[in-house]
Amino acid sequence: MSAPTARMRPPQWALGIFLGVLVLVAAGASLLIGRDGGGPTFGFGGPELADVIFREIRLPRTLLAVLVGGTLGLCGAGLQGLLRNPLAEPGLLGASSGAAFGAVIVFYFGLAGASSLLLPLGAVAGSLLALGVLYALAGRRGDFLTIVLAGIAINALAAALTSLALNFAPSPYAALEILFWMLGSLADRSLAHVYLALPLMVPGWLLVAAAARGLDALTLGEETASSLGFAPQRSQWLVIGGTALAVGGAVAVTGVVGFVGLVVPHLLRRAVGQHPSRLLLPSFLGGALLTTLADVAIRLLPPGPELKLGVVTALLGAPFFLHLVMRGSARAGSLQ
Amino acid sequence: MTLAAVQVEVRYEMRSAVRPTTVTLEPGELVALVGPNGAGKSTLLRALAGLVAHAGSVTWRGAALTRLDGRTRARTVAYLPQDPPVHWPLAASEVVGLGRLPHRAYGAERSTADDEAIAGAMRQTDTLAFAARSVHRLSVGERARVLLARALAVEAPVLLVDEPIAMLDPYHQLDVMRVLQRYAAGGTAPRLVVAVLHDLGLAARFCARALLLNDGAVVGDGPAEDTLSAAAIRAHYRVEPFIARHDGEPLIVPWRALPRASDAD
Repeated sequence: MSAPTARMRPPQWALGIFLGVLVLVAAGASLLIGRDGGGPTFGFGGPELADVIFREIRLPRTLLAVLVGGTLGLCGAGLQGLLRNPLAEPGLLGASSGAAFGAVIVFYFGLAGASSLLLPLGAVAGSLLALGVLYALAGRRGDFLTIVLAGIAINALAAALTSLALNFAPSPYAALEILFWMLGSLADRSLAHVYLALPLMVPGWLLVAAAARGLDALTLGEETASSLGFAPQRSQWLVIGGTALAVGGAVAVTGVVGFVGLVVPHLLRRAVGQHPSRLLLPSFLGGALLTTLADVAIRLLPPGPELKLGVVTALLGAPFFLHLVMRGSARAGSLQ
Repeated sequence: MTLAAVQVEVRYEMRSAVRPTTVTLEPGELVALVGPNGAGKSTLLRALAGLVAHAGSVTWRGAALTRLDGRTRARTVAYLPQDPPVHWPLAASEVVGLGRLPHRAYGAERSTADDEAIAGAMRQTDTLAFAARSVHRLSVGERARVLLARALAVEAPVLLVDEPIAMLDPYHQLDVMRVLQRYAAGGTAPRLVVAVLHDLGLAARFCARALLLNDGAVVGDGPAEDTLSAAAIRAHYRVEPFIARHDGEPLIVPWRALPRASDAD
């Protein structure tokens, strides 16, 4: 007696391997393609420079694209599963804007020049602070709607404080520096940034992944999820805590890169048969792929000032978001 | 081998939704939980499932449900709430498969036992025909049967269902009552089924026992036909029933609403 299968679909690992290969190809391209004042460059220049260019410039940039993109995709999928709403994304909880504010404070006091690591540390502190406020506002047993509203409030507050810092910026140059950093970019990062972000990202990923079955159970509502042995509160704090850690680490080193966490899970949801748990790994890979490709595309543009990654993802993501809303996809899930 | 509720009380703010209730339920029984709107049927069912904070204790084979770890409790008590949501457009068979979550380790693929439980539950609920269709494309009644199959697929020794036939056509109402009866009789061992029902006729016909609730208290308990006497229906439902027998089985039809107490004078 065989169970009825939903539809003839390639097995789950096939999608993972397919996306994984694409990520490797994109990462290879990212390692080979550079950019200077004259537009895109290919290869590593002269043999004496090759090692430096590879290790100091291309490798950190590529690694960060994969790690940050993967983080945003994974956390987006986790949050959409948790809130049962296809419009959820990491920026929603205030972790991104809190991290941005933390970084801005470092700029504001002119500390960014003192050590290249002070900036990311400020961002992590901001992200954790945002999570702390969220926790205090929504409470240990807070329901989902309270969390979303608290996230909106934290976003608004962080944005206001960031504006305040811009307002009182010691010099126009400082204000410009803050603005540029907030746009989100992978350019001019070093392996130190990778080492700083990874210890936050990896535990964050594991926490979100631990909620996988709980997210499936939540498909049938909180009551049924409880009766299936997956307390909604547990899933909730796994996903939210994991997102704050991982996204805090990501924003700390790249600034705010929006919409990846929204778009990627949405594009892949049908391919995994709508299962929230099966969406997690493909969304990680898809996020890594999209971010790496976007970052390569930036380098291929004609000569001129380099576009910021955050600008590109927002330019692509905002119309996509609008499209989702217009099509009424928001109705597929609902806040409780 | 019993589900025992001892002095179970559920309070919402100041009001008692379920007054201190002590009841013992035996496997092999299909128990109807009946009573007018707001009597506390659903709340008592949730308390029996260990899903709502309550005073007193609910024990299965002497172990308190609240002390069991989540997965053990989930494998012991399956619960189907009234009209639960399905947030993503999963295929019907995938929804039924969610009932197997408590049986599966993290990341494990479906086992043969899972496949058999899913197929069996869908066969019983007459839902195999649309196994591959998205639940969002099903009618209300079809969806209700898929969700019942989800609860059956848990294969728990205790099944608690809240109004499982409210949305169904007559054919499937009769069919589902038969399924619940068979589930209670059990495959290998007798199981306990408690169903919140509003159809008093079907409750009297198919259920061995009925618990009649009113205003948060058990006001009648015994063989369904005895519990649902004309006097009890008049007193607690405020309805004049028509009661007869057909094919040797009880037939209860609510006939006329009795005047409200305030209209009496």
